[in-house]
Amino acid sequence: MTQKIPFEPFTMWKDMYEHTEKAWNDVIQDTLGKESFSEGLGQIQSSYLQYHEIISNLTEAYFKQANIPTRDEVANVASLVINLEGKIDNIDDQLYENSETVTKEINQLKRTVGSLEKKFDKVLEILTALDKKIQTNEATTQPEAKVTSQSTPVKPDDINTKK
Amino acid sequence: MNLGTKELEDWFNQMQGESKKSYNRFKRVTEVITTEPEPQVGQTPKEVIWTKNKSKLYRYQPAVKKTNKVPILMIYALINKPYILDLYPGNSLIEHLTNKGHDVYLLDWGTAGHEDRHMKLDDYILDYLPRAVKKVLQTSGAKEISLLGYCMGGTMTAIFTALHPELPIRNLILLTSPIDFEDAGHYSNWLDKRYFNLDKLVDTLGNVPFEMIDYGNKLLSPISNVYGPYISLADRVENEDFVLNWKLMQKWLNDGIPFPGESYRQWIGEFYQENKLIRDELYIRGHKVELSKIKANLLNIVATRDNIVLPQQIEPLNDKVSSKNKTLHHVNTGHVSVVTGRKAINEIHPFIENWLTEASV
Repeated sequence: MTQKIPFEPFTMWKDMYEHTEKAWNDVIQDTLGKESFSEGLGQIQSSYLQYHEIISNLTEAYFKQANIPTRDEVANVASLVINLEGKIDNIDDQLYENSETVTKEINQLKRTVGSLEKKFDKVLEILTALDKKIQTNEATTQPEAKVTSQSTPVKPDDINTKK
Repeated sequence: MNLGTKELEDWFNQMQGESKKSYNRFKRVTEVITTEPEPQVGQTPKEVIWTKNKSKLYRYQPAVKKTNKVPILMIYALINKPYILDLYPGNSLIEHLTNKGHDVYLLDWGTAGHEDRHMKLDDYILDYLPRAVKKVLQTSGAKEISLLGYCMGGTMTAIFTALHPELPIRNLILLTSPIDFEDAGHYSNWLDKRYFNLDKLVDTLGNVPFEMIDYGNKLLSPISNVYGPYISLADRVENEDFVLNWKLMQKWLNDGIPFPGESYRQWIGEFYQENKLIRDELYIRGHKVELSKIKANLLNIVATRDNIVLPQQIEPLNDKVSSKNKTLHHVNTGHVSVVTGRKAINEIHPFIENWLTEASV
């Protein structure tokens, strides 16, 4: 009695693949390695590129005629944005690079401003004191000054000499 | 799957034995391919610490305590997306390293637009990488850094390290990164100057579409790359773990990005066609690239079953560098399974982590 083997399409497909792969692999690899194959590939490539070039030129001409930006023109705008981004990135990098130096300089500047402020305070103090002194002097010498003013007027040169 | 009529579905459900199994398999495969949502990738928590043009610099798991003093900056290729390094929880190199206390950063180049077609490798290596390294050092407060490059990202990392001996690069980890292009397998033939019109390609297309690069990769082994994944899926569709990994892999493989035009011109012209790097003939913005100037500790990982970057393209680096601590490590994986999948999780991720920890002490 013979056993009935059911039809199994996958097994048939798999067997076919395995047999084909085994039988043809060496032949295919030999063919792929031949110079004539490379030459053939080159010819296909040239034909494809020729076709592509014609289509591209026609499309570009049509787009220009129809006042529609071409791919190159859109890409040029993108390039401008990329260049700008590159510049920002460079600034960002320089900022980071210089951050230590900048911090040092800012601290130095703070110290200088602080010392200047102290000096100004001192000058202000002296000026206030001087002002007070002048006012006191004026108050004590007022009656005499009246007399003096009547007899001999004070010249600006005299004030400079006193100082 | 809704077959449209209840009667037809009832009829299929009444089937017995192998026929029913076969129908269920077909039904499940169709669901996986057509109606099921794509899995979420890149789930390890991260923050953006710097951006430039389309590029983003991520810091991973900022809230987790960092026990290793030397931060790691990962640099990916200009092809495909970097989430392969953080594919899925439990299947992620980044997650593994951060869980072990490493401070991990990733430079994602982003998706190049038409406006980026003039970007050269020089720009990425001399304008983006130094700034990213600086940002990592500033953020981490560390004095030294480890660099990890994958595939072409590793080649760029090696060039960057050679050009900047003054930078505190302590460790350099390269995963399947081509350095010597003398014999690049089929690519050496296909990209032959006599037949491959590189200048015309870049001048016409600007950026090189992902589909073109993907087509080249699939052509390396056409039957297994085109039909193989579907055979495997149908064969193991009852295993949910396998289905998840299959979906993750397919998502990543088909989620490519365009290659910036001028970078492609350099990559194919100066690397694949003229093999300048290993011969010390490569100049980046006028600076000569000498691999012997690399002094960092080096871990160079070779995938022995890789048909995209062949082992002989990777191995010569160890003889060129001046590093005192250098390791050439072979693993029995392919180009992608070096970072994802069971072998990567169980062997390669822990190996990288151990090497990094030892080299950073």
